[in-house]
Amino acid sequence: MLNALGIDVGSRYVKFARFEDGRAVMDKVDTVMFYRRCRAVSGGVDIRRLEQFAQSSFGRIVATGYGRHNVRIQGAEVISEIRAHAEGARYQTGLLDFTLIDLGGQDTKAIRVRDGLVDDFLMNDKCAAGSGRYLENIARMLGITVEELAGYCHNPAKLSVTCAIFGESEVIGKLAEGVEIESICAGANLSVASRVSALMKRFVSSTYVVTGGVARNGAVTKFLAERCEGRVLVPEHPAFNGAIGAAITAQTQETVFHTVGEPAKEADRAP
Amino acid sequence: MTAGLRTESRPFNRVGMKRIGITTTVPSEFIFAAGLAPVDLNNIFVTDINSSGFIELAETEGLPRASCGWIKGMYGAARAGMVDAIVAVSDGDCSHTRTLLEIIQSEGMPLIPFAYPYDRDHSLLRKQMEKLAAWVGVSMEDAEKWMNRLDSIRSKLWEIDRLTWEENRVTGFENHLLLVNGSDMEGDPDRFEEKCGRFLEEARQRPALPQQLRLAFIGVPPIIGDLYEFIETLNARVVFNEVQRQFTLPFRSDDIVERYLLYTYPYDVFSRIRDIKEEIAKRDIHGVIHYVQSFCHRQMEDVMFRKHLGNIPFLTVEGDAPQKLDARTKLRLESFCEMLSLKISALGRPGC
Ligand code: SF4
Repeated sequence: MLNALGIDVGSRYVKFARFEDGRAVMDKVDTVMFYRRCRAVSGGVDIRRLEQFAQSSFGRIVATGYGRHNVRIQGAEVISEIRAHAEGARYQTGLLDFTLIDLGGQDTKAIRVRDGLVDDFLMNDKCAAGSGRYLENIARMLGITVEELAGYCHNPAKLSVTCAIFGESEVIGKLAEGVEIESICAGANLSVASRVSALMKRFVSSTYVVTGGVARNGAVTKFLAERCEGRVLVPEHPAFNGAIGAAITAQTQETVFHTVGEPAKEADRAP
Repeated sequence: MTAGLRTESRPFNRVGMKRIGITTTVPSEFIFAAGLAPVDLNNIFVTDINSSGFIELAETEGLPRASCGWIKGMYGAARAGMVDAIVAVSDGDCSHTRTLLEIIQSEGMPLIPFAYPYDRDHSLLRKQMEKLAAWVGVSMEDAEKWMNRLDSIRSKLWEIDRLTWEENRVTGFENHLLLVNGSDMEGDPDRFEEKCGRFLEEARQRPALPQQLRLAFIGVPPIIGDLYEFIETLNARVVFNEVQRQFTLPFRSDDIVERYLLYTYPYDVFSRIRDIKEEIAKRDIHGVIHYVQSFCHRQMEDVMFRKHLGNIPFLTVEGDAPQKLDARTKLRLESFCEMLSLKISALGRPGC
């Protein structure tokens, strides 16, 4: 049987997932590079122009990304990000009932999954406030990496603006006041978590699965765990969750309840 | 000192007047009885090819960018000389409308306020109608006769609505476009009735529409033009337009005052919730889209609808100006319809 491929076209990276021997194999390329290299003469995007797929042929390709019409990959069926993320989280955690919080580069989504089906969702911010982009900008300003920023959770400075652009001026203000960089980083992580916890309260659950690039930020997930009653899980591949969900959908049209994959890690309540 | 809005009750000088602007549904029977033509400023604005020009004009005059697009559009339409006087709803719509009236009046437009009493007090509404009658120089009986005349048109609109949900022959957009005109009958009852009659004849011959998902559209009429069209590409169709249907005064009574007390839109949200719930059940609706206008106080009603409409899948969509749908709203609509489809195929129907 030919392999199935899942593609998630994100704002920063295009992520790919396929299954080999029951395990998910993942890969990613820069989004701008992806479009530059893969734009087909006939219109749309041809993934065979990427080195890693030059020789491949896939039985079925399912893609997801920002809107059906923005994902024009030749030979691919398109599903919504909501469905892809729900499928991905279900596969990665083996759970059927949970609230999924996807913390992406540009937006935040909350999805309530019941009996394995998307029951409701929220994507209520029109801007990049409180997203990965905000944290990236803060890290860049402070001259540190996002990974380093993610390490700070003590003594958070009070930051109220999570706008990816205007948040920077608030940080400058804090620096001018002489607030420690560690505190500012913790404050940025906390402000993202506070914003996200408002979404979590809309879909109260005993389990929150957190995905997206920001899910790797331990400080944010710690703050989230402190702000809700349920447990907070980060699956093994949070940033590839959408691509995995697309791959699962590509692999079988039926609803599948896979539990293959590494067990999800529970976020620490106290680091 | 200029006369305050509330003191305006003398008959106005009708010389040269023909077109009476309205800001939402008012008892247009009185206007027609006086031989005048009601013209819904919202409709003029949103159907004009230069609708964004109306908004620009309003913003150039200083109306805040962060204010309701319908208000700015109505201001532009009033300024464009499309009406000779205005009957304006000062209570029952919103405080933005009230300020709009003050601005328009200060610019010299003859204007009469019309207030729907929040507590549905029969005598207060009657008083408002009597004032309106005196203003245009007709009697209550004249207006009641016109109610019968307009009801023959409204019954065509009700039939169009029935063909939408029961026989699936009318699209959500057609339903919206025709029912929303119930507020002013396009200013010409005979012509509008003929138009509805022709539409009915044609629609009855059509095959049933194929979309599987049945949606309700609640909230103020949307300012975004391609919303319905886009929804219909998603195997979904709007089979209930809440406020547009209210503009057709769907609840019967021989008493004109009672008739406008049963009309839900200008009063509390609870009667709207009751009405919506009944229609959701009757029309076998799978999901609700609540349209909210940016900067409108009615956005807060979202909380009430989500709480009181039960377990039905619910999506809130916000619009600002008469533009095409933005990518994000498209994405949310797609995801919503996809979710409903998957639920239907897995469970038989969503929401259970
Ligand atoms: S949309 Fe809201 S703010 Fe705008 S005119 Fe209507 S009720 Fe007023």
